[in-house]
Amino acid sequence: MAFPIIPYIQEVTRLEWLRKFFFVKTAPLLTPPYFRGFPELTGKTCTHALFCMMACPAPGAIDVIRTPGGWQPRIHMGHCIRCGLCVEACPNGVLTSGRILESMFYDNTRLSFSFRIDVNTDLCMGCGNCAVACPVNKLIDAQMSHGGRASTDELLLKVSEGKCHVLHVEKCTGCKTCENHCPNEAIRVSRLLEAVHGQEEEV
Amino acid sequence: MSILQSVKNLVRSKSIHVAYVDVGSCNGCDIEVLACLSPRYDIEQYGIYVHNNPREADILLVIGAYTPGWEEKLHTLWEKIPDPKVAIAVGNCPISGCLFNRPHTLVDPPVSKHIPIAAEVPGCPPRPTEILAAVLSVAPLVFKDYEVAKR
Amino acid sequence: MKRTVDVSVPIGPIHPCFKEPARVKCETKGEFVISAEVELGYMKKGIERIMRGRPWQEVMFLAERVCGICSVIHNMVFIEALEQMSTIAVPERAALLRVIVNELDRMQSHILANFSYCYTIEHETLAMYLLDVREHVMDELERITGARVTCAYIVPGGVRFDLRSEDVLHLRANLAVIEEEVTRYMHMFEGGPLIALRSREIGVLSRGAALEAHAVGPTARASGMPETDRRIHHPTYKKLGFSPVSRTEGDNYARIMVRFQEVLESISIIRKCLDTLPEGPIRGGGIPGAGEIAYSGEAPRGELSYFIKTDAAGRVVDISIQTPSIMNIEACCHYMLKGVSSLADVPSTFVSADPCIACTER
Ligand code: SF4
Ligand code: SF4
Ligand code: SF4
Ligand code: SF4
Repeated sequence: MAFPIIPYIQEVTRLEWLRKFFFVKTAPLLTPPYFRGFPELTGKTCTHALFCMMACPAPGAIDVIRTPGGWQPRIHMGHCIRCGLCVEACPNGVLTSGRILESMFYDNTRLSFSFRIDVNTDLCMGCGNCAVACPVNKLIDAQMSHGGRASTDELLLKVSEGKCHVLHVEKCTGCKTCENHCPNEAIRVSRLLEAVHGQEEEV
Repeated sequence: MSILQSVKNLVRSKSIHVAYVDVGSCNGCDIEVLACLSPRYDIEQYGIYVHNNPREADILLVIGAYTPGWEEKLHTLWEKIPDPKVAIAVGNCPISGCLFNRPHTLVDPPVSKHIPIAAEVPGCPPRPTEILAAVLSVAPLVFKDYEVAKR
Repeated sequence: MKRTVDVSVPIGPIHPCFKEPARVKCETKGEFVISAEVELGYMKKGIERIMRGRPWQEVMFLAERVCGICSVIHNMVFIEALEQMSTIAVPERAALLRVIVNELDRMQSHILANFSYCYTIEHETLAMYLLDVREHVMDELERITGARVTCAYIVPGGVRFDLRSEDVLHLRANLAVIEEEVTRYMHMFEGGPLIALRSREIGVLSRGAALEAHAVGPTARASGMPETDRRIHHPTYKKLGFSPVSRTEGDNYARIMVRFQEVLESISIIRKCLDTLPEGPIRGGGIPGAGEIAYSGEAPRGELSYFIKTDAAGRVVDISIQTPSIMNIEACCHYMLKGVSSLADVPSTFVSADPCIACTER
């Protein structure tokens, strides 16, 4: 503390300081390329898998809408938090933001979804609403769509002996239609997101 | 419009005082507003002075999703700011409530329900450059033809 | 004749020195502060209530938004708690990348805290220098994670993006710059006579008082409690080998100096990580399952704990978060502010404890 002024004098006599003081201009206001901005479309075809919407943590940030040219995700500014999960979750690379797509390619990473269906047998009363509403069931067995009886065991959801049974959970697309149609809140679909390394298996 | 008026417009747009109020944010947008002060972005080179005194502010940056603690207080604060004044919503929080606008939340977004908002900067948080651009775009409009409009 | 009157002076919620709304009520006798009290409640959003019943990918982002200044540590503690609970292994490279990002975050938080302090004592030159060097840290954070503040970098079983080899060069170059600048600013702070007038012997928190108030983080370490650094319990940090910083003065000056020293410490931790960074995958996969856990980590402001209970599908059933700032705010009001000889020192003392109102109230 003897000569406390010395650090200050040293500071203003540094060449670097003088150079900055006289010559430096403010840096241009650029957005670096590695910044994750709002997701933008790459122009690839959206298959309406809705993984982006399932991964999105922000309420009301992303919608997949139908345009004359097919399905298209739309980001709502003011809701989107620019997390980039939708970019990572999309299996077709429809969205892009910053370097995420590039990084996913180099690092060989992706987000994978799996679904888990829990039926609370105490609450389930076997009405079959879920099995009738499930769009996957409809595809497998056309009869299901107008409330017919289940004819095959290939179905995703099937009601037998007065309770709903999950037969092929791997076919679930995570749409949660069943959950919305259950009068008793007995069925619960969980979307399990997993951050994995490695190539996507062919489906 | 008189020449005097246009000179006034020009001069005043280069002398803007900014205050910011945090009505329940996560601090992310707060520090991005602070980062605007840094020599890298240097908001003061545009003649904009950021401090936290609402009584001499022209632009109010509203940050956050309007928590119950701010009921009436925000309105009082808004009234304390002398005319002319504008408010800018910085971040997703005042626009939509961001992630907090969910069941069981305590916040009550959007802030535009409570005070008039002139511009919005989406992003969570927005980059300092985006905040800067918004403030700069609003700055010439705050005082524009103030005397004419008052009459 | 000089008369002293007792007055109660409220400072805040909007105060030029406070970044966030809080109200400090001071009972004063003349300029002498007899007692102080903090009034909170301007930032309560009910984050824990929102978190219930949500899967990790949503809670992770909410956890980040408990505090925007130290968002990475919230992300890290939450995800590591889930990993401990459902025994998800993390690849070596990912664990080190986490430490790198966490230390960068700590650096920017500490520099920001010191900026606020310098700004509060009206040493604007140093404050602006610090804010400038903080931008270098933010650049690195952004280069690695893609975002400046809410990085969302850590996911169960790994991290989101790899550190590219060209980024390592940038990081090393930038670290050298940051180290040089921060060292210089530290010496400026150390030697500044006016700074000493405003900081030394002001807001003293003795070791006994710190223990009593359960002070955590740099506030406690400035009062001679190096054992409060939770990093010494973290497996990755243990492997890297580091020693916590501590000082014994316990005043404003010591708190700021501890932060400066920790920034330098963080730089050396990052260098060690970069030296030992192995090649390999950055994600191991893994889905959190059912369980219950209490887990804590060292946030820039002190010990941060999460108590989490999840159901079989990995949804959060119950969660409670204990953030460091509340302890430091208590310590600040009940011990440091008491006996401060001038009202002008109240904001600076309050800021020196680096209070973060957002995470205190959530
Ligand atoms: S970036 Fe994140 S918040 Fe925005 S739409 Fe995609 S997933 Fe949702
Ligand atoms: S989530 Fe959709 S696809 Fe899966 S079972 Fe329910 S209705 Fe069927
Ligand atoms: S789960 Fe619900 S909808 Fe499905 S059969 Fe049971 S009660 Fe009916
Ligand atoms: S918009 Fe995002 S970063 Fe800004 S205050 Fe809200 S949650 Fe925080």
